[in-house]
Amino acid sequence: MKRTFSFVIVALLALGACSSGDGSGPLIVYSGRSEELVQPLIDNFEESSGIDVEVRYAGSTDLAATLLQEGDATDADVFFAQDPASLGSVTDLLMPLQGSVVDRVDPKFVDREGRWVGTSGRVRTFVYNTETQIALPETIDDVTDARWMGVVGVAPTNGSFLAFVSAMILERGEEATLDWLKALANNEPIDYPKNSPIVAAVDAGEIEGGLVNHYYLLRLRAEGEGSSAENWFIPAGDVGSLVMPAGAGILANSDKSDDALEFIEFLLSDEAQEYFANETFEFPMIEGVEPAKGLPPLGEINAPNIDLSELADVLDDATRLVAEAGLV
Amino acid sequence: MTVGPTISSAPTTPTKTRSSSRGWWTAAGLILVPALIPPISLVWQVITKGAGSTIPIARLAQLFANTVALSISVTLTALAIGVTTAWLTNRTNIPGRRGWLILSAMPLVVPSYVAALTLIGATGSTGLFATWLGINIPTPYGFVGAWAALSVFLAPMAHLITSPALRLIDPATEEAAVGLGASRLKTFATVTLPQLRPALVSAGLMVGLYTVSDFGAVSLLRYDTFTRAIFTLYEGQIDRRPAAFLSVVLMVVAVAILFLERRTRSRAGYQLGSVKRRRSLINLSRRVKFASLGFLSLYSILAILIPTAVLVFWLLRGINAGVEIGSFWDETVRTVSIALVAAALAALASLPLAMVTTWRRNRLSPAVETSVWAVYALPHITVGVAVISFALAWTRPLYQTIGLLVLVYVAMFMAQSVSTVQDSLRRSSPSLEEASTGLGKSPFETLRRVTLPITAPGLIAGAALVSLSVMKELPATLLLRPNGFETLAIRIWSSTGEGFYTSASVASLVLLAVSIVPLLALTYRDLSD
Repeated sequence: MKRTFSFVIVALLALGACSSGDGSGPLIVYSGRSEELVQPLIDNFEESSGIDVEVRYAGSTDLAATLLQEGDATDADVFFAQDPASLGSVTDLLMPLQGSVVDRVDPKFVDREGRWVGTSGRVRTFVYNTETQIALPETIDDVTDARWMGVVGVAPTNGSFLAFVSAMILERGEEATLDWLKALANNEPIDYPKNSPIVAAVDAGEIEGGLVNHYYLLRLRAEGEGSSAENWFIPAGDVGSLVMPAGAGILANSDKSDDALEFIEFLLSDEAQEYFANETFEFPMIEGVEPAKGLPPLGEINAPNIDLSELADVLDDATRLVAEAGLV
Repeated sequence: MTVGPTISSAPTTPTKTRSSSRGWWTAAGLILVPALIPPISLVWQVITKGAGSTIPIARLAQLFANTVALSISVTLTALAIGVTTAWLTNRTNIPGRRGWLILSAMPLVVPSYVAALTLIGATGSTGLFATWLGINIPTPYGFVGAWAALSVFLAPMAHLITSPALRLIDPATEEAAVGLGASRLKTFATVTLPQLRPALVSAGLMVGLYTVSDFGAVSLLRYDTFTRAIFTLYEGQIDRRPAAFLSVVLMVVAVAILFLERRTRSRAGYQLGSVKRRRSLINLSRRVKFASLGFLSLYSILAILIPTAVLVFWLLRGINAGVEIGSFWDETVRTVSIALVAAALAALASLPLAMVTTWRRNRLSPAVETSVWAVYALPHITVGVAVISFALAWTRPLYQTIGLLVLVYVAMFMAQSVSTVQDSLRRSSPSLEEASTGLGKSPFETLRRVTLPITAPGLIAGAALVSLSVMKELPATLLLRPNGFETLAIRIWSSTGEGFYTSASVASLVLLAVSIVPLLALTYRDLSD
């Protein structure tokens, strides 16, 4: 008995000792962007700046909720998120950014109080099989047309779909959004847990089209497939071609705000922007860097006019409406 | 586990065991109280902060029905497969018996999300079957897919739990039945199965409640259970209250299942005594032998060959496309070492808990068992969120430390080791301990010389089961780990999310490879016994 206890206590002490951190450590980044996508870039930053970076990878919404739970007690210095909704839900914890970063980016992709800045653009798109006989949707409402009955893939529980629904709430109001979601549900879409299997299914010809972010197709091509699918940017200027920047902000309580600012400046440097363009296939946020081959310039995409700063306010409503419409 | 004091011949003699009972109960209390922090913190959150937006009753009813239907069907199927493989590989002279014994346990190393992922990767028109064999099987989404994936990959739990019990059965009773003219099948059903009851109940709970808490298979294969709904809420919403509320409902369901199980079971147990008798392997007829070999081969193909082939398929496809393959060395070291520490602690913690629910039973024992299993049945994401709020409020220095993560693993998975240690205890009798005390040995000496040797097989098996579970664990690890503490499971999650299938396949193959070690520890017992 006693021995059992002393074992447990010694083991716990050992664990505690090897895991306790101290205040003067590295720059802590909470990243909702996955390790595969951004770690190489962070390695480059560490090398060029001499600043040590410690990254916590998890889902963007997850990290936003964790930051809210941690509040002022958080150790995080930077929040690097996949979407404006996650960033927007923690703006109270972020500090206003300096002009050196904010001015580099189109104000459309910056928080209205300058608390976060877009670092790369992701565009909602309609991915389709190149052999499809069905006329491509001119508006997002066309996707709920009977001609697309039972052949469209959606990921209704995925963050990017929920952000898209949030944007629709801002554009059309709750009621009209619920109508659209119900119309989509009536059209018997095929639901997937994530974007990438939708693109794979479209490429395989299992379904004719799908609502996804644009870069999943380019990603699939990098894995050696994807030749039978193509992205279609819905041209009507509605949320079908929503541009959702991934972005970053600095925690107001950070004791390393200079390092944190240097990190965000780095994310907006030519080097990082070219990395986003060519390695993660996203749209660069600064002038002078071109998107990956096969993608139109961001300016040519007829994106809707949405105040991204408001996206966070309706994110939870979006989740509720998606459930109400019977999509999950 | 929940099968009462099975050794009816050995009621504890109060005078000699009172002091050691008190010791065991104190230890059990000290372990159980912190382990109950997640559920208590969760209920507290719901009481103080409310449920957020309300969830319609109709949806709750649907989730309840789906969850129970999946749990029951997976349990029955996994038990059927697991008992069959266990019987064939432990009691018969099937050719290659020992090899099949390991192969039948092996699918346990496949995490449910990898199982689901590879099922999706094998089927469909771009899947492995279509590409390599030209057979296009539509992907079985929904109930069928979730049921098939979970049953196939949880059957080894039943196999592993029932194997030792099967070897323990006195062949004399079976031989008597056969001698009296009963068929092999009838003997199995009327003589063998009833003696397996404690092991079957253990395995059933382990599989059934795992199914309740699983998210990987149900989310990827799109079957709407409580846990999937809870996940969706946590992932899609900043407001964590509705998910917490749903988790409390789920916990009530789990406790109800435990309660029902307690009400319906009978008090069958092992027949002690002639366990040392050399048992003989049953001779299978030619026809049965072929059928059995067919069954074992089919199972191994489904549960081992196909998932591995899909992973290799992705890997080769990626290499062809020129994808760079990273090493996962750091992740592997972290995964293995944290699993080892957690497994050792879980085994230690389970000793007092198993003791107070078998040899040192009293009226509190059912509550102890229910608590242990209730924590096991909670979705791991829920445990993670509950522990975050608790740690931030009360134990800030432990927040995001390896120590806390290990403790959470122990709380979540110790039901598995409690169950295997209980099994060891049930096969022996407290009278041995009493004899030792009676001979004037100190409690400490008794523990070392009597209790530990008796429970050693259960402790080892429990530690191995827990380490397998820890290696595969994702949601709680994601929430509670220190910054930068990436495990193999986390890398599989992050790479599949963004469509990096090559990376995902490498990380999965590494995870499968390192999981073989605890698996061998589990089957070693069966092989050498």
